[in-house]
Amino acid sequence: MAQVAGARVIAPEGEPLEFIYKGRRFHVHAVVSRWRESGGWWNRIDDGRLKKGPLEDVIFDDGGKAIWRVEAAPEGALATFEIELDEITGKWQIRPTSRPS
Amino acid sequence: MKLPFTHLTLASGYSFKYGTALPHKLVERAAEQGATALALTDRDGAAGAIRFAKACEEFGVAPILGVNLSFLQKKYRVTVFAQGDGLGALYRLITSINLSEDKLLTYKVLTSASQYSSQLILAHGVESQLAAAINARRSEEAMSIYGAASDLFATQVLDCTSHLRAGTGPYSTTYAARMLGFARDHNLPAVLSNAVRMLDRADGPIADVLDSARKLVPLHHKHVERSNSEAYLKNPAEMAWVGDEIARAAGERNGNRLLADTENLAQRLRLSPRRDIGLGAIHLPHIKDPTELRHRTRAALSRYTGELSVKAAVRLEEELETVTTLGFEPYFLSVAAVADMARARGIRVAARGSGAGSLICYLLGISGVEPISQGLLMERFCSVLRAELPDIDIDVESDRRLEIYSAVFDRYGFKSDKYAPGDNSSTATVAMVETYKARHAIRDVGAALGIAPMEIDLIAKSMPRIRSRNIQKALENLPELKSLNLNSPMLKMAISLAAKLDGLPRHLAMHPCAVVLSDPGLLDYAPIEMNASGYPMLQFDKDDVEAVGLLKLDILGVRMQSAIAYALDEIKRVDGVDVEIDQIPLDDAPTFDLIKSARTLGIFQIESPGQRELVGKFAPDTFTDLIIDISLFRPGPVKSDMIVPFLNSRQGLKPRDLIHPDLYDVLHETEGVVVFHEQVIQVISIMSGCTLAEGDERRRKMGSPEGQIEVRDWFYPAALARGYTNSVIDEVWEILRSFASFGFCKAHAAAFALPTYQSAWLKTHYMAPFIAGLLTHDPGMYPKRLILDEARQWGIEIKGIDINKSDRNYLVEKVLIDGDTRAPYAAPDLLSTGKSLSLPDARGYAIRMALRDIAGINDGEVEGILRSRPYLDLADFVARSSASRPICEALIMVGAFDELHQLDQGALNRRDLLLHLQDLYKLSSTSMRGTATNQMVLGLTPPPLEASGLPALSSAEEVRHELDLTGMDISRHMMEFYGEFLNHVGAVRSSDLIHKRSGESVLVAGVKVALQMPPIRSGKRVIFLTLDDGYGCNDVTFFEDIQQSSGNLLFSSTLFLVRGEVRRTGPRGISLRATQAWELTDSYEKWRNLRVYEPEHG
Repeated sequence: MAQVAGARVIAPEGEPLEFIYKGRRFHVHAVVSRWRESGGWWNRIDDGRLKKGPLEDVIFDDGGKAIWRVEAAPEGALATFEIELDEITGKWQIRPTSRPS
Repeated sequence: MKLPFTHLTLASGYSFKYGTALPHKLVERAAEQGATALALTDRDGAAGAIRFAKACEEFGVAPILGVNLSFLQKKYRVTVFAQGDGLGALYRLITSINLSEDKLLTYKVLTSASQYSSQLILAHGVESQLAAAINARRSEEAMSIYGAASDLFATQVLDCTSHLRAGTGPYSTTYAARMLGFARDHNLPAVLSNAVRMLDRADGPIADVLDSARKLVPLHHKHVERSNSEAYLKNPAEMAWVGDEIARAAGERNGNRLLADTENLAQRLRLSPRRDIGLGAIHLPHIKDPTELRHRTRAALSRYTGELSVKAAVRLEEELETVTTLGFEPYFLSVAAVADMARARGIRVAARGSGAGSLICYLLGISGVEPISQGLLMERFCSVLRAELPDIDIDVESDRRLEIYSAVFDRYGFKSDKYAPGDNSSTATVAMVETYKARHAIRDVGAALGIAPMEIDLIAKSMPRIRSRNIQKALENLPELKSLNLNSPMLKMAISLAAKLDGLPRHLAMHPCAVVLSDPGLLDYAPIEMNASGYPMLQFDKDDVEAVGLLKLDILGVRMQSAIAYALDEIKRVDGVDVEIDQIPLDDAPTFDLIKSARTLGIFQIESPGQRELVGKFAPDTFTDLIIDISLFRPGPVKSDMIVPFLNSRQGLKPRDLIHPDLYDVLHETEGVVVFHEQVIQVISIMSGCTLAEGDERRRKMGSPEGQIEVRDWFYPAALARGYTNSVIDEVWEILRSFASFGFCKAHAAAFALPTYQSAWLKTHYMAPFIAGLLTHDPGMYPKRLILDEARQWGIEIKGIDINKSDRNYLVEKVLIDGDTRAPYAAPDLLSTGKSLSLPDARGYAIRMALRDIAGINDGEVEGILRSRPYLDLADFVARSSASRPICEALIMVGAFDELHQLDQGALNRRDLLLHLQDLYKLSSTSMRGTATNQMVLGLTPPPLEASGLPALSSAEEVRHELDLTGMDISRHMMEFYGEFLNHVGAVRSSDLIHKRSGESVLVAGVKVALQMPPIRSGKRVIFLTLDDGYGCNDVTFFEDIQQSSGNLLFSSTLFLVRGEVRRTGPRGISLRATQAWELTDSYEKWRNLRVYEPEHG
């Protein structure tokens, strides 16, 4: 997948396999859970992300996100992360999470 | 390998304000995804079932039908499926719920309807009580729910759904996995579904807006039901992925077993669109003796004599042959039974539509038009080649329509007087699907987004009643919206969303006039709900009803029929004459003279400005002419310019073209122009040699471009073989082809022409009773004040509201003709035609204004007033009539006490009466306080009525009160006050316009009575303004050039002064082409101001 500004995540078939976090390469050992979120588009109508042009092409910025909670490690102990893909921009975000699965 | 997947839970747009896609789209997508079956499980009803089944048949997908029912005070939802031949049981379960006290599924309802549920399959889905118990880890409760249901349903399944929501609540994978785990632990069947409510992932915002519109709250996370966009019609691969995800979370290796079980259940639930759902079936009412049709119609042949009787006998046998072959005897006898029921109650009945083409309908008394002499064809209505139920509509008096409903419901099986259907009921009303149009859509979206109501209102109001898909186009063309920034993101979003709501159903309403008559199995064929008016209503609309073969009878309330009935009663009461309006000869010369004079206000179908112009040009002489006139005045003929060649030939301007002598009989009555469907059928039949029934099949085919090619390829060789030359066939084909899209059914027009003629006849011979009927039932397009003035212009006296003489409705009174009586309207003797018209003289009668038209009066007050009559004086009235104080005041202001208190003597006036009323109320309130009773105190001397010395109301003030309180200028025409001004500026009376030359520029004035924007050939907007000036109507046309300067004025003002050019269009056809328009009161004020200063200047 093309790397967009944001976190670097290797996800050849859409599923994250590896990512870079704070300069280190992490390997995903297990997906603990995955879910999707979207909605709240009505709060973002005026933020300028709306595509200009005829009405038929208006895009609803529905804030679609896919999120994976994964166990990943460079070496040594496993850590838990949330990896989030913003489906409108293609940007990745990575958050370490303290909660175990 | 591509695995199949069948969606078992799917809410379409017929889950009102919940589902975002129409069944057809969903089925189409499923078919694209390779599905071989698809379920529709709409929420709480099955209104989409038949459309869904039709779409399934179209795309070769097996339908599965269920319903998603709210359960236990709407806390939970379960899905119930039909299997095999058990769809009737599903419908009856829905009906049982709808007829139950709370209209909700409860254990009580389930127990009483267990004979139906025991044939059905219950699915506990993500919103079920069972799922909640499982996820709360209350296994025993879950098992007891399951146990209770197993006594009520044939089978149960657990239906697992994951929308990949975060957390562990409903729609999360964890929630679904717990259900699956429970099923596995207890060895219960489990399936996978997606609780679909959207077609695409991108439809989430539409779902949100619908949630918001349904709950009547603005968009907020708290109110929308989704937290992501997974509730769409996922393809098999996506569903397999979800299945794996759930199964793995439940500890299985993959979702294969879950998917396989889903397919097994789906296999079992598949229905056949025809055998199980009933597409193409026919369910006619049960009739004891079908041969009754033969006996009744043959006996009725006796009304024919002479030459026609032979023709009629032959034709009847042909028609009977057709009807018996089709087995439609019950159909005709049932419709006749309804017509009989109406007539037995003294309610006027008339058939409309193609049914008037059938001799059987005429002989049964369903239709009043004699079909043979009018050239009407049975084949247009019903033929063996088209084995579908024909459509008969009957018109009845509008204010007695519900009496017929009651009679029908009484007769066709209801268990109580509340019209709740019993098990064997065979009748119900029909639903109508209200869909989102531009106006509703923009309002709902605006409310959801919290846009300022003012802005939304502005957009919504200027929205013509168009489909919301065209919103943007509509907006671009509206100057009044220039002030809004339609490009602001918020409005753009709103408009775009509104367009996406286009065509989605909003709710079911009752079809205004349709009832279904079926065999006693009706409740097996369709689900029923009780509608707001308390009638049982099928959840199916007219198309659905037709698709499953139910006989639909339209019983239309026609106000003109009420007006005619009222006029007949008044004639009987005042003149003692029994007019048999259905037996009058159809060739009455004075009636046609009145029509030709174009003074057709109040006459059925031909009173609009356009029709008045057309009858002025056309000058109809016969009943057939009336039929032609009605057929010509429609958008089709206007657009295709059929009218001009017809009129040219009619007026002798251009000789008619006769294509071939064989066609003379068929085409000569319409000047060689093809106007009627019946003519097309006959032309095809004559030239090809086919039967009339086949001719109608070909005519119907010509509706589509492909069909036209097919018919052409058949027609040419057939006509050549019968010896017609190529050039004749070319010419005929060209006429048939161009006519195909907009012809009119002559039987339908003839059925309409009958009340047209009858109302014209009444206006000619009994003008006062007829106009009293018009005022009472208000059938037409014009304000009542115009109808009232029409009476005045023909010499009828208008008598004001009188407390001891006025009735609820308008009464006719006989009066003496004296010097004050206005001379009736007389048509000018036009040299150009050499014919003068004999017009009615309506003098010697008066119309007494009615109590019911006083603003704010209610039926109870009218009753109270009538019951305690006569009154001795105002005090007596206040004491005994129970009328409210504002109504008392209104009655005084419109002069209802003038005669009682002899105000014409001059000693007292209406102001004195008002003061007196005040005193009377003071007295009653003080005495009430004293006695603490609610009654008017008897025996107390009322305060005296004395002259206050205040001046009487001026006549202008009187008219203003009349207009305010009744909407009508009763004592005189409101234009009278401008008489001096109009004379001064040289305005022309509408009745004098006919003396003006074509092209002459004139001034006219009047009160706006109609403003129309009809379809016009060029597609440009043309506005027709009709002005009433007290001498008739001025019809003024505004073309686009002048609309810029006067457009707003036309919509906002009431009184006008217009300059225009005279256009002569026929013997009596005349109209004005506006060149400038002013608000009359403005001009008047300016003129008056000038006059006031004139002496100083002079």
